[in-house]
Amino acid sequence: MAYIAMTTGFVLILIGLFGALTNRNILRMIVAFTVANTGVNLVMVAVGYMHGRTAPILDEAVPVAEAVARIIDPVPQALVLTAIVIGVGVTALMLAYVYKLYETKRTLDISAFKDLKW
Amino acid sequence: MVSALYILAVGLGAAFLLGLLRDEWRAGAYGVSLAALACMSLISAGWVWVLASGDGSAVDITTAGTLPPYAINLRMGLAEAVLTLSINLTGLLSAVYLRDTMFNQGRRALAVLLIFTMAACGIVLTRDLFNLFVFFELVAIATGGLVLLSRDKRALAAGFKYLVASQVITILLLVGIIFAYHATGTLNIDGMAEVSSLVLKGGGLAFFLMFIAIVLDLKPFPANGWALDVYESAHPAFSAMLSAASGSAALFAADKLLLIGGSTWLPLATGIGIVGFVGANLFALAQRNDRRLLGYSSVAQIGLILAVIGQRDLLGDRYLFIAGGILLAHAVAKAGLYWLSGLIEGRTLTAWSALQGHPILIFAFASFIALLVGLPPFPGFYAKWELVIALAGEGRIALIGLILFGALLEAGYLFRWFGRALKRERAPEPVAVSSFKRAVILTAVAAGWGLGLIWGALSLNGNLLLAVPLLFAFGFLVLEPLSVQIKNSLAIAGLVAWFVLSLPSYDPLQLIFAAVMLIGGALILLASYQTQGRRIGFYPSAMLMYAGLAMLIVAEDAFGFFAAWESLTIGSYFLILRGQRSEPHALSYMVFSLAGAFLILAGFALAADGDPLFTLAGLKQVAAPLAPWVFLLLAIGFMTKTAAVGLHIWLPGAHAEAETDVSPMVSGILLKAGLFGLFVLFMAMGSQQLYGVELTHILLWIGALSALIGNLMAAFQEDAKRLLAYSSIGQMGYALFGLAMMNHLGWLMALMFVINHYIYKSMLFLSVGGVAKRTGTRDMYRMGGLITLMPLSFIAVLIGIIAMSGVPPLSGFGGRWIFYNAILTTDSRLPMILIFISGPIAFLYLFRLIHTIFLGQLKDEHRRIKEAPFWLVLPQMIFVACLMAFALVPGLALRRVDAYISQFHPEGALGWEGLTITSAFGYWSPISIMIVVGVIFASLFAWLVFVNRKAQKVKQFNIVFAGERPFRPETTHFAWNFFAPYRKALGFLTEPLVERFWAAIVDLLHASADLLRRLYTGNGQTYAIQLLAFVVVVYLLRTGL
Amino acid sequence: MSFEWIKIPYALLTLFIVANYGFLLTAVMAKIAARVGRRHGIPVWQNYLDLIKNYGLRSSITHGVMFYMGPVFRLTGGVGLLMFVPTLYGTEMFSNMSFAGDLILALYFVFFGSLGMALGAGESGHPYSAIGVTRGLSQVTAAELPFALAVYAVAVQYQTLSVTEIVAAQQGGILQWTLFTNPIAVAAAMLSFLGTMMRPPFDVVLAPQEIPIGPPTEYHSSYLALMQTNRAIFPIAKIVIYMNLFFGGAASWPAFFLKVFLIYLVSVIVGVVFPRFRVEQSIRWFLIWAVPLGVIAIMIA
Repeated sequence: MAYIAMTTGFVLILIGLFGALTNRNILRMIVAFTVANTGVNLVMVAVGYMHGRTAPILDEAVPVAEAVARIIDPVPQALVLTAIVIGVGVTALMLAYVYKLYETKRTLDISAFKDLKW
Repeated sequence: MVSALYILAVGLGAAFLLGLLRDEWRAGAYGVSLAALACMSLISAGWVWVLASGDGSAVDITTAGTLPPYAINLRMGLAEAVLTLSINLTGLLSAVYLRDTMFNQGRRALAVLLIFTMAACGIVLTRDLFNLFVFFELVAIATGGLVLLSRDKRALAAGFKYLVASQVITILLLVGIIFAYHATGTLNIDGMAEVSSLVLKGGGLAFFLMFIAIVLDLKPFPANGWALDVYESAHPAFSAMLSAASGSAALFAADKLLLIGGSTWLPLATGIGIVGFVGANLFALAQRNDRRLLGYSSVAQIGLILAVIGQRDLLGDRYLFIAGGILLAHAVAKAGLYWLSGLIEGRTLTAWSALQGHPILIFAFASFIALLVGLPPFPGFYAKWELVIALAGEGRIALIGLILFGALLEAGYLFRWFGRALKRERAPEPVAVSSFKRAVILTAVAAGWGLGLIWGALSLNGNLLLAVPLLFAFGFLVLEPLSVQIKNSLAIAGLVAWFVLSLPSYDPLQLIFAAVMLIGGALILLASYQTQGRRIGFYPSAMLMYAGLAMLIVAEDAFGFFAAWESLTIGSYFLILRGQRSEPHALSYMVFSLAGAFLILAGFALAADGDPLFTLAGLKQVAAPLAPWVFLLLAIGFMTKTAAVGLHIWLPGAHAEAETDVSPMVSGILLKAGLFGLFVLFMAMGSQQLYGVELTHILLWIGALSALIGNLMAAFQEDAKRLLAYSSIGQMGYALFGLAMMNHLGWLMALMFVINHYIYKSMLFLSVGGVAKRTGTRDMYRMGGLITLMPLSFIAVLIGIIAMSGVPPLSGFGGRWIFYNAILTTDSRLPMILIFISGPIAFLYLFRLIHTIFLGQLKDEHRRIKEAPFWLVLPQMIFVACLMAFALVPGLALRRVDAYISQFHPEGALGWEGLTITSAFGYWSPISIMIVVGVIFASLFAWLVFVNRKAQKVKQFNIVFAGERPFRPETTHFAWNFFAPYRKALGFLTEPLVERFWAAIVDLLHASADLLRRLYTGNGQTYAIQLLAFVVVVYLLRTGL
Repeated sequence: MSFEWIKIPYALLTLFIVANYGFLLTAVMAKIAARVGRRHGIPVWQNYLDLIKNYGLRSSITHGVMFYMGPVFRLTGGVGLLMFVPTLYGTEMFSNMSFAGDLILALYFVFFGSLGMALGAGESGHPYSAIGVTRGLSQVTAAELPFALAVYAVAVQYQTLSVTEIVAAQQGGILQWTLFTNPIAVAAAMLSFLGTMMRPPFDVVLAPQEIPIGPPTEYHSSYLALMQTNRAIFPIAKIVIYMNLFFGGAASWPAFFLKVFLIYLVSVIVGVVFPRFRVEQSIRWFLIWAVPLGVIAIMIA
């Protein structure tokens, strides 16, 4: 199950990167990046669980002394959530940029914005 | 102590608070932000204070009441405290700087700025990968926002490119993090480091992805077009933050991450870093936009620090000192330069000429450049010294070479920029008037100097800023408002006093050099009385040079020697740059000098074997396989100063274009520093063989060639000062030849040249300078017939050329006599032939000098000119007296040195009994010669006066001219292209081959920089592809290794 | 060292002999050259006539101080050079002021007169003077080189720079002369000698048909008298050096007169045969023919 998720995740990442690097339309690039982000999140969910470990609740079943080896660290889960949130934030920011960029040149072609170079 | 957590809390809290304020409360919002930033800075400062004074130790801060790995933790150690302080101060100062912009933009922009600063601190403080990711993203988003503060419309596209790149980085980072977690079961950095074997076994790729993501955040060359675009177009205050704050933070993150990777990943960091340092500096050569240039320079500096991070296993407990020194110097300088660029309207390098007339801003500019290049007394200097010594100790020679090459490129474009700013026609747009902005810049300057003081105190080698000569020199910065007369008197008094104070501790050799440099310097300074006004910038530069010289001759350890060497180089650079058209020449002087200094540094480093406290006496103990290389590096380094042929192309322009009283300083005195270095080197190391070739033999050839080429070139100059300058090359060639003979008399001859060349070259430069001042030209063929109008200058030149030509009875003959005696014992006879031929060639230019200026036909426009000003003539007359005295009793100066040299070359000492000086081969009695010549001359003169008493003075055109009158003085004065037939015969020797060689190298560098930088197409998508390609290439190289 | 005042009259005596011999010798040489060209030539006492005429000239002008002192420098150079080298070997009487310095002093003092003269001529403001000086200086750079090399070779050979000791080492038969013990050095020096005697093919400095007489163009009356005296003394002073270094010196006046005459004659013989070189030609000639000899001389020394 985890492998399927992981493979799917990587496929999504690759599709996303491919899309972002081949589409000249800025909006399409952003969509491609969100696809790739979804892939990343999927991979994280798939890899973040370690076999044979238990939930991070410290009680009699899991003494503190052995906890490190026996529980799943809760931090990666928080990481996934945060990553999703940040992804949304970045996407929003990029969309705002697109709006402004379109206003300046009336085009969404990334190759039109080459005033700065060398 | 306030918990470091509050740095983050205050930043975040204030940012949220801003969200609650009303839009109209601009001042309130601004005040809250400043208060928050100040508060954050104070907390960091408190920690720096506690940790640096040793009262506390690094603390871990846990969150959620639990220890890691169950919760996130932060750490506040000394490095973290210093970095957060630097980040917070950058944020605070940029906020002050942005006052007007922020009043326009309102609270939202302020909140983003707070978030940026807070997040950068977070990157430094956190010990957790999750947190690291979050803070990195916050910095990225905040960057996306702050880029838009700029008035530049293009910033929009740049910001978008930046976001695209950061998307790619995020993907790499997250995938890396999660796999690393999978391998180790923790996200805590220290936790991962403990089980790093797991990471490296199962998750080598995972670590690679994390590491490369952080490296990409450092904007590594060449996958960094997006970052350069941001640097170029963003508001300078934000570029300052991006370069100083987020750059530092990302570097620290890379350092933390390498804890996990362990030492096997260090070479990769070094490799990426050094490629970036050299590559970005190379590309910067072709830049014309100031901010983009600074961007390249940022990339380069961060590359250098990454390379240092990659070397931390061998730097030991000096790692923080070295990396920190370079990092903080970079942060302060780069922030300062970006802030400074905000005051300037135009965006070309030349637009910085608007700074002319603002001495304080120019001082700031110079300080920032010195900070970046790592010149003394700034932290980068101490850091670079220890770094290079440590690297050489481990035999990492290639890395040293690359670092020094990159640093040279950087110094090249930075000083070129500085020269343009100072010397080009002043840009029409004025410098922005804003007391806030200026205060920010001055704070950065103060911070830079403060860091210099601190790093000096922390260094193993002693604090340069506390060295009395340097303090004295820097003291003149404060005295700038005073008038020239007062400052000049102070300077002279200082030089003489220092000489008198140090007198008891000098050995005879040092005494000769000290007398020439300090007393000689004071004598030349007499000429400076004739300038009026305040002469801003002259005295700090001149005294810096003299301080360097004073410290050079007494230096006992290699560090002191090197620091003195660089000080005098910087001082003299600023001095030379003061000349009216000296911009290109000062630059080439600086580049050659720094290259020489770097060779000296490398030589010392090789010899030191990892000991930063290496003494000059230790050169004697350097063992065989290394010794010739050390010798070679040091010798070439010193020869850049003596302008040996091949390394001489800077000299003619630099000496000719310098101001009237500066030319004698840089010619008569400064050149001797190189000779002193060679003396020290030869005394310590003797002669060395490399692949069976005697190195001193090669130096003999170089000396002889310099003598020949210098003299020959001098004969063909039309410009009087250039003539004198080329003649210096020849004279130094003689001295080098003498030294390289490695026998008693050779050395004595070199010393004789030290004294003689100082006296007559200083005198001639002053006379010619006086004439040029009066006639308004330096072209000799425009002069002529000035003997009656400027008799004293004529006498000085007459005595000077007789002395220099070596004709008895004046002192130059002594040098020739010793030379002949010296060569009789040497086996290397072929180079000597060149010396033989260059002797008579000296007559060519000397006669030309005196004839075309003072003899021949007086021009109409010069009929009313007066003798040179009193203060120019006075030192000349003193020099005449000195020359006479030295001609009569050379023993006064030479006798003790002769005895001193005996400890190195016991054979060949001269006999000094009575009035006659004897050698193994011949004898020479200066006083007898003077009397015989004097008596004959006086009798004949009396006879002529007697028989010819009625001679009638006639006018200038009353000459035998086929019964006609000449047309005009210009057509009758035989002066232009004086030695045309000689050029026909030997002119092929004066082809500027060396100049062409160096020009070709420079052109090659520029052309390749200009061609290669087209890699940065400006297309955001291309940049993303380059980013991924960089990752793949690095990975392939890594696995291939 | 205590100075013996008797040296002064002795020196004056030397000077007197050499000057008169010089006046006669230069006239004789001029006559020889004229006869070769099928001309009659000047009488041998011509120099005395000229001297009287020059001193007797009533009109006398000056262009300035250096102009005035030029001939003084010139003659001081000639007399000084004579004084710094012992004229006759083995006599205290004619060793002159050679205690003041050795061979190197003589070598460098050669330039004293030329330099002063050039300065004086320069102040006259006459372009021909300046042209003459540039030619002379240019030529001397190449012409002096073989001589300097030969001197070095000889100094190494005898391990001394003292003229007296060099002569002493050549005593004991004609085969002890440097001419035979070190022929290559002597050959180089003699080629150099041709270049310094102001005779064809190396007389471009004075070049009578081009720049009247070069540097001295503006000089006349008593100035010219001084210079004429120098023209008698200076070549002999120079020949004395050659004689001492290469031809065994002279122990008596007759030997002195003969050797000086013969050495002088070398330059005259060459001079009547060859036409004049331009400056660059003579420089190339010295560099191609004479300098290699000198180089060989020092390499085998």
